[in-house]
Amino acid sequence: MRPIGFSTGAVAYSDFQRALELMAVEPVNCIELSALRFHEVAPLLNAIETLDLHRYGYVSFHAPSSFTVEQEPFLVEQLKRVPQHWPIVLHPDTIHNWEAWRQFGSQLAVENMDRRKPWGRTVEELARTFSDLPDAAMCFDIGHARQCDTSMTEAYRILKAFQHRLKQIHVSEVNTASQHDPISYAAKIAFQEVACLIPSNIPVIIESRVTPQEINREICRISQALPEFDFVPAITNAREAMHNSPSTRHQN
Amino acid sequence: MVYGSLGRDEFTPGSDLDWTLLVDGIADPAHLDVALAIRDKLETLGYKQPGREGVFGTLAFSHELIHQIGGQDDTNANTTRRILLLLESTVIGRRDAYKRVVCNVLHRYLKEDRGLWYGSGEFKVPRFLLNDITRYWRTMAVDFAYKQRVRGNEGFALRNVKLRLSRKLIFISGLLTCFSCHLELPGDEKKLIYLEHAVQPLVVHLYRRLAFTPLESLANTLLGFEKLDGSTAKLFKAYDDFVGILADESVLDNGETPRDYLEHLSVDKLESDPVFQHAREISHEFRDAVHEIFLRSNTELSRLTIEYGVF
Repeated sequence: MRPIGFSTGAVAYSDFQRALELMAVEPVNCIELSALRFHEVAPLLNAIETLDLHRYGYVSFHAPSSFTVEQEPFLVEQLKRVPQHWPIVLHPDTIHNWEAWRQFGSQLAVENMDRRKPWGRTVEELARTFSDLPDAAMCFDIGHARQCDTSMTEAYRILKAFQHRLKQIHVSEVNTASQHDPISYAAKIAFQEVACLIPSNIPVIIESRVTPQEINREICRISQALPEFDFVPAITNAREAMHNSPSTRHQN
Repeated sequence: MVYGSLGRDEFTPGSDLDWTLLVDGIADPAHLDVALAIRDKLETLGYKQPGREGVFGTLAFSHELIHQIGGQDDTNANTTRRILLLLESTVIGRRDAYKRVVCNVLHRYLKEDRGLWYGSGEFKVPRFLLNDITRYWRTMAVDFAYKQRVRGNEGFALRNVKLRLSRKLIFISGLLTCFSCHLELPGDEKKLIYLEHAVQPLVVHLYRRLAFTPLESLANTLLGFEKLDGSTAKLFKAYDDFVGILADESVLDNGETPRDYLEHLSVDKLESDPVFQHAREISHEFRDAVHEIFLRSNTELSRLTIEYGVF
């Protein structure tokens, strides 16, 4: 079975302590500590040493999804307190000063974005992000990728182009309002189409907003959506294909 | 998004502006208002509005394009919009919905093509897609006769020339797009795709291939067949002459441009009319070159054409 777990924010909004209590009885071995709102960062960082995380083979930290240019230097300083072996998941559209984030190197895991965002949704947009953050890893949000392109073609392209940067996966059904729902049957069969491109050792973090009673069922659904396959290496030509469009028609 | 000569990058003075407002998302009553505003704006700017069949110049919904392939609900208009979306459209403004719809249409053609994934034949050609493109080509030919009847031969000469050249070109570019899955993908990549039943790499390939205009598509393929250079030059010369007639703004003795003259020419005068006869000769040159390349060249192209394009 793939390493699997939840984002704390998905099971207990803005309450990581409650989320960890709920996870204690679930068959998970990964956790993402979520501080999606700026004001959640300091309390979570202050609590890290007191948290019982020994059962988790993988822990990541989700940085806020919005902050001002004035808040950015303080946030960067705060995030230096995150243990270095924990990836820091960051939305590329939030960045004001790229230089400030470069110091995190491969600890930073840039996430592909949903349709609402002006940046970070496609291979081309992500490639520009990685050129500014050359050592950064990637958090592939398969729900975001499907929301942008239900044929999963963009998901395929992202996985092929950035396979070597892959650090973790975010999974959920991203609805038309860009909220994270439990996955539907349609999402499950779509995810299965690219599951073979995700190495089986890459941690899967569930972001579906579920009640405590739904946690286990969602883990089962996602285990079916991302079954383990023999890993398929990159098909180089196809990866480049869409980018090298010969005319102005059908550009990305 | 636009279709027709503008989509093919062959727009000339007097061309129709075939456009559609493509909707892929939550239904909104205001979509019709947007479509009407587009129509008004284009009229104000003096563009010639889409043809009278009502296929263009209105809304098109992704659900019909993606779900209604074949069967009772795949109307003539829906087939036209879908095939031309693939073969001669281009997008104006944001392209994310357009890209999503094209990829989903391709995904359906490929994923549901069992022969493509499990067939043991020598060639890997997406037959479901090819059959729909072929069906559309035959539909255009049948509709030519239909329009002749319902319009009482009005516009016959120009439609006839277009059928022999620009409509045929669309079919040829569709044929080549399908053949490209066999001709253009490297062997190791093909092996991986079919071994893994990986639909998305083929969608990526076809999306890229469809980014060519029909003329670019043809040129791209024929550049790989050096021995066909003579016929290729003949084909492009004929097509260039055809576009030249449509673009010619000089005035004939009756005060019309050659395009308008052909549009208004009576069927009774076709056999003796020099303008129509010239256009007809161009179409014969084009036809002969097509036959040389696709039927008599004894190349992989002609083998594929006989295997997939005839029976």
